Parts: sequence; structure tokens; C-alpha cells
Amino acid sequence: MNQIQPLMLAATESQTINAALLVSALLFAVGLVGFLSRRNMIIMFLCTELMFQAAALAMIAFGKVHHDISGQVFVIFILTVAAAEAALALGLVVLLYRRRETLDSEAWSELRETA
Amino acid sequence: MPPPIDTLIALLASSPVDMALGTALDMAVDTSINSTTSGRAADATSSAGFASPAVLLSGAAAVSSAGLALLMQPGKRGLRIAGTVLALAGFAMLFVEVLKRAGGAGEGLPPVFPVVFGFMALTGAVRMVTHPRPVFAALYFVLVVIATAGMFLLLGAEFMAFSLVIVYAGAILITYMFVLMLAQQSPVAGVGDAWYDRMPREAASAIVVGFVILATLSEAYFSSSAQELRQTQFESSEEAGLAAGWERLGGMPKLLLESVRKAEPNAESVVPRDGRLLSAQGDSASALVKLADGTEKIVTMDSAMIPDNGRQVGVDLVSRFPAGLEIAGVVLLMALFGAVILARKQIELGEDERRGLAGMRRLTVEGEAGGTGGMR
Repeated sequence: MNQIQPLMLAATESQTINAALLVSALLFAVGLVGFLSRRNMIIMFLCTELMFQAAALAMIAFGKVHHDISGQVFVIFILTVAAAEAALALGLVVLLYRRRETLDSEAWSELRETA
Repeated sequence: MPPPIDTLIALLASSPVDMALGTALDMAVDTSINSTTSGRAADATSSAGFASPAVLLSGAAAVSSAGLALLMQPGKRGLRIAGTVLALAGFAMLFVEVLKRAGGAGEGLPPVFPVVFGFMALTGAVRMVTHPRPVFAALYFVLVVIATAGMFLLLGAEFMAFSLVIVYAGAILITYMFVLMLAQQSPVAGVGDAWYDRMPREAASAIVVGFVILATLSEAYFSSSAQELRQTQFESSEEAGLAAGWERLGGMPKLLLESVRKAEPNAESVVPRDGRLLSAQGDSASALVKLADGTEKIVTMDSAMIPDNGRQVGVDLVSRFPAGLEIAGVVLLMALFGAVILARKQIELGEDERRGLAGMRRLTVEGEAGGTGGMR
């Protein structure tokens, strides 16, 4: 930690934590917007990965606030879940692509509830 | 100075989110801290003056959302440039406001690395969401991962930074690439990319949802009460963090002996005192060591001897979350099985094959019904 300090060029701990929290909030919002507005199923899952990143960054920032290493350990679990999710989601996407020959999520819109 | 809790609450009442956090803060911090808190909060409010802080943050969030909305529109170069400018301006406003609230080093250089990594991550994220070509989107996600890893480094999480790059950029993104190559239709000449990659779905409402999330999060994170609460926790937990570091060193006798030998080369073994190998007092700790000639000596160590981040994460992982570790392993195994089962080619059996498999007599003669089954 002490070796990292000069790297930050005049940033105080509090500024770094604030910047990290801001970036995490923005990444989450952008990921959510992407998830809602893209049609390509693969990109939609990529956007969930973006939201995972945001959550991991917030974990680490808050771990820093509390001087607690558990925040970083939770990120290991986030990585695990993200990897599992990627494997399953991509398996699903391949399956769905084989059925309809398109990645458009609208192709499956008959699955939704009738209004 | 009497604790002016009323003043504090009056200040915080400017927004409902602030209010909720303010009550939490009142319960969390003691009166002595409250007096300094309200002093600083008063300063912040008077310096903001023209606009209340909540409005400023939401305004910046709105500007960046508007920029993102413009960027989502397909084609039209002018719109995209306007969107880029707006989004960058919004992000910059947010950064300036948020860093100003952190206080501290107002003089000298701005915090260069957090801002650089932050903008890298955000550029990558926005390009990822708006790029019409999925392969480029995945590559921009790699940029986001690298920038986030940089943020992790700045926050002192070296181990997680490198494992993030290895696991995300190295493994997960490659899986995405594979699937993209497998499933992506190549762009048709003259038509360009697939239409579903060019046209956003319900862009306006998505942006509204994003704005609401962003405004709520930034208000919850950076309202003056949350800021103060965080600062208090940061200061008050410093001691506990050091103590936890020393305790982890005490739990690793081999590493402890190694670090003791740096101070006392003749050390033979560490002798427990009151059942503990190491007794810590804040920044320094001392251990009773047995020297090679049989005499005992107390060796003091400074905070540079605290185990590094990777070791601490490892010890914490196996000592505090052993069940979580096991469950993570099971989750990965199940994901492996699940992916194999999902992606397997399913062979559709006709009525007749099913009868055959069930051991019943087939209705048609062999060779006649070749067309009933098939792959799909």
C-alpha cells in the first residue's frame, strides 16, 4: 500500500475512494442502459459483466473505507459467479442462436407475458 | 462546543436521501465528531451557494445521460460528436464535484491516476454499449477491465487487480469472443452490420432508468453526510485494519519467523507469550524470540512487516470464508455441467424412434422412415 502512494500523484485516500465509487456508479448505470437498450444477446450479457465490474469496484472501495480485506475476498466470489454466469449464459446463447439463427433478443419476444 | 445536532439535521433536510442518511449518521457517530461534521457541512453548503449539492450531482448525471442518449442514435455523425462532448462534459462535472467533496489536497496536482483510469473505464464502457460491432464491444470491455484493475491497484488491492485481468480479460472475454465468432453473422456487403446491432431498443426509457440509478447512487455515495460518515469510518477503522494485519502475521508462524529474522538474523524460533506469538500495538508489534545461543530477546517490528495484500486475501479467504470457498467450487462445477448440457446438440427423435428406444415394436419398416429424425 505504501509503495502505491507516490503512484497516485497527490491523490488523497479519500479522493481515490470517491473516484472509485463514482466510476463504479457510472459503470453500473452504463451497463444497465446497455442491457436495456441493446438487442444483441451477447452484448446484453457483456453488459451484465460490466455491472459485475462496477459491483466489484464498489466492494473494493468500501473495503478500503473500512480497512477490511473482506471486500477483496468478496471480489473473488464475484469473479466466480461472473465466470459461471458467462459459461451458462453463453451456452444458452449458442442454443438460442441454433434455434432461430439470429442473436436478436426480440426473436424470443413471444416468451413475454401477454399484455 | 455543544453538539449542534439540530443544525446538522436542518442542513441535511435539503433532500430526502440526505435526510435518511443523516439520521443514520446521527446514530453512528458520537457527539464530538458531530460538532466537526456540522462545521464542515456548513462550509460545504456556503461554498456551493448557487446550487444545492444534490442538484449539482443530478444535473451532471443528467448531462451525461443526455450525452449517452445521443450516442445511442444510429448513424448521424453530428449527433455522435455532440453526444461524445455532452457525455464527457457530464463525466467531468461529476468527477470535479465528487473530488471536491473528498476535500484534502486542494493545492498542487489534481489526483491524476484515479481520473485517468476513471475516464479510461468510462470511455470503454460507453463505446462498448454504443458500438455496432459486437467484437469491438468485447474489445472495449477489455479496456474497461484494465482500467478497473488500475483502480484496484490504486485502492491497494494488488492481488484482485491482477486476478481480474487474468480471469476477465484472459478467460471470460475469450469465451465471449469464441461465442461471437460462432454466432455472429458476418456483415453483409452494402447493408453493413446486422440491424439489431445498429438500432437500440427503447433507448429513451433505458436512459431514464440509467439516469435514475446514477442520480440515486451518486446522491447516496456523495451527499455530505455519507461523505462524513465514510471519512469517520476510514479514520476510526485504521487501527482495526492494522491489528487485523498483525493478527494475520501472527497466524503464519513461518512467515513470522522469516520477518523476525530480517531484524534479528540469529533468531531460532518465536516463543509464544500469553498464548500469542505476536503482540501488536498499533503501528508496531513485538515478538519474543529464542536466539541460537539459547537466550531470549524481544524483537519489535514495524508496519512494513505486515503481510502483503495477496497473503492477506488468501488467509482471509480460507480462515473467514471457508464455506463460501467450497460453495464457489460447487457453483463452478455446476456451471461446467450446465454449459455442457445446454450447448450439446440435441437430437430430435421421431415418434417411431422413441417407440424403438422404449423397446416397443416399430410401426414402420426399417429404412422407410429415415426422414423422421434429424438434427436441429
